[in-house]
Amino acid sequence: MSTKNIYRPQSKIDYSLYLYILPAFIFYIIFVLFPLADTFFNSFTQWNGISEKKWVGLDQYINNLQNKKITSSIKHSFILIIFYSVLPIIIGLLIAGIMIRVKINGMATYRAILFLPQILSMIVVGIAWRWIYAPKGPLNSGLDFFGLEEVSRAWLGSFDYALPFVGLIGTWVMFGFTMILFIAGVQKIPTELYDAAKVDGAGAISEFFNVTLPNLKGEIIVALVFTVTLALRNFDLIYITTGGGPGTSTMIPSMFIYKKAFQMNQVGSASSLGIMLTLLIFTLVSLILIIFRDKK
Amino acid sequence: MKKIFLIITAMLALSFSSKADNLRILAEAGDEATLTAAIAQFEEANPGVTVEASYLGWDDFMSTIKLKMADNDPPDLAHGNQGFTVDGTLIQSGLVISLEKYANAYGWKNLFADGALAEFMWSDDGSTWGSGNLYGISPVAEDVIVYYNKDKLNSLGLSVPTTFAEFENALKVSKDAGELPIALGGADGWPIIHVWGLVEGAHVDPSQTRSWIFNAKNTDYSTPDRMKAAEKLADMASAGYFGSDSLGIGYDDANAMFIGGEGVFNLTGTWMTADFNSGMGDNVGAFAMPRANGGVAGGGSFALPWHISSKSENPALAAKFINHLLSNEFIDDLMGVGRVPAQSPTIDPTSNLQAEVIAASNALVGANAKTFYTDWATPGMYDTVTQELQKVIGGAASAQDFMDAMAAESVN
Repeated sequence: MSTKNIYRPQSKIDYSLYLYILPAFIFYIIFVLFPLADTFFNSFTQWNGISEKKWVGLDQYINNLQNKKITSSIKHSFILIIFYSVLPIIIGLLIAGIMIRVKINGMATYRAILFLPQILSMIVVGIAWRWIYAPKGPLNSGLDFFGLEEVSRAWLGSFDYALPFVGLIGTWVMFGFTMILFIAGVQKIPTELYDAAKVDGAGAISEFFNVTLPNLKGEIIVALVFTVTLALRNFDLIYITTGGGPGTSTMIPSMFIYKKAFQMNQVGSASSLGIMLTLLIFTLVSLILIIFRDKK
Repeated sequence: MKKIFLIITAMLALSFSSKADNLRILAEAGDEATLTAAIAQFEEANPGVTVEASYLGWDDFMSTIKLKMADNDPPDLAHGNQGFTVDGTLIQSGLVISLEKYANAYGWKNLFADGALAEFMWSDDGSTWGSGNLYGISPVAEDVIVYYNKDKLNSLGLSVPTTFAEFENALKVSKDAGELPIALGGADGWPIIHVWGLVEGAHVDPSQTRSWIFNAKNTDYSTPDRMKAAEKLADMASAGYFGSDSLGIGYDDANAMFIGGEGVFNLTGTWMTADFNSGMGDNVGAFAMPRANGGVAGGGSFALPWHISSKSENPALAAKFINHLLSNEFIDDLMGVGRVPAQSPTIDPTSNLQAEVIAASNALVGANAKTFYTDWATPGMYDTVTQELQKVIGGAASAQDFMDAMAAESVN
């Protein structure tokens, strides 16, 4: 059969439409693509920021991988994923799960309050929590009030507790976001499914695992991608609360990028670390998307 | 059309004429009061000259100064920071000029003792430091000394320590009496450098420490004396002389605590003099840290150096302004804004504290005992020394660990 008779819509792309995205695209090139390409190039050089760049190939990458301080800072980032990503998602799911069963008056108000940390500047959050965790701050005062003087300490000045306590700030910031995401997701699950589950005699827990959770898969992926990315590229919160200390106990790769570029005159090395961090985030996000891919 | 042409010509003429007599200064914010006073005097003494100063806080200043000086239109006069990270890079890249010509014309070198300006001397390629040509200068001294709460020292039955052993004893007595011996804002890291500078200075020959800072790569760091100092610091930490929370307290908070009556001693820089004076009145005193074998020890140096941009259209005017800052008339004004002049003032101190601070400062200068700041040694040293000192204070590293990490960074 000849294909001649088959109707094919003429390609009628109106190229003038592209003009509409041009202004935004120019900005994207100037402020995203160009710096990215520039950083990529710099990562193969030795450069103090103002002098001539010297091409050193992969040396910067190799040095970074051999630097124990940097590799241990990556470990810290993975610990932070638990606090920035895993905990907020669990808490968000719990709240969403409870809300299906329990009607609470004034829910919109509670939701707004719980979401509040998400819209605050990280700088504000960091300063507030530094005060809360301070040796004479509200947390320790509270512990002392209940006779727990033994427990109270300078949380952010402790080699053992600084990292998890900075992490908990991240949990506080992120769970409002996951909660709103999951509540919105729950509302689009057909009520028939819940009715069916009830008819089958499912309790609250079985209903959560068999109906709510599978139907929130899309939202969980979004939450994972977003929070894992934040955990790895997080800078402001650490910079404000601990500056990477005490010692190197809360050091993360982004702090190294800042220190190398602005304190140590090692812009080339900072660039290579930036590229490595980008690749790491890209790999993790890809893994998340592959693992949770719909197998249809 | 004609009008527009006229306006443009007028604007060009204005901008051209103003440029010749216009001095632009970029300064670290701590110098705002000093410069405000100096600029008013300078403009009055030089009719037709306008001086524009802009200020940036420490962190912003230090992270952008190199880029600002590399700009096509940099300020004529700007602060740098001693060491390879800022000054070395500026000189290496040819962004600032040697001040030799002006120093000779104005006689700046005669104002200070021989060798006192070493921290501003560089080879012209910016590769060696501590000798060579003069690339910067400052009228202000910043010494790290010991401040103390007079009431507390008296009520503990102690007098001002005259040896390091007496100082240690005072710490022990304070601790035993339930007082916080030393107020320290260790969360910020760098305040511990000041404490270390004094403990190191009490045990290590100051000239040894200075040669290490000027040439860390080729100078042995791990000397027995310095090991003794590191052990001393670790002992002080484990004895609880810094309290149990110092790593959770920032520098500003620690000073606020000290002003509020917590802490017998505070080992910090003379830049805090005005704040302590207004907060504590006559209840605060100061002395230079006594050394273990007699004499005094001190961290500190001149304040941030002034540099003239190599792209400045009017370097002579910039030098004239520097000369005003260094002039006899301005010394007393420096005291007025609460700073410690690097040259001897001609007026009486405005308070007991200022008198004691100047006495301490003079003692350090007289003994040639200033040892700068540890973090000047290499670009990566700030990071290493703050992290390692936090570990020592927090008991997470031994004196030996500290010495090893520092020696490794020295040759990095």
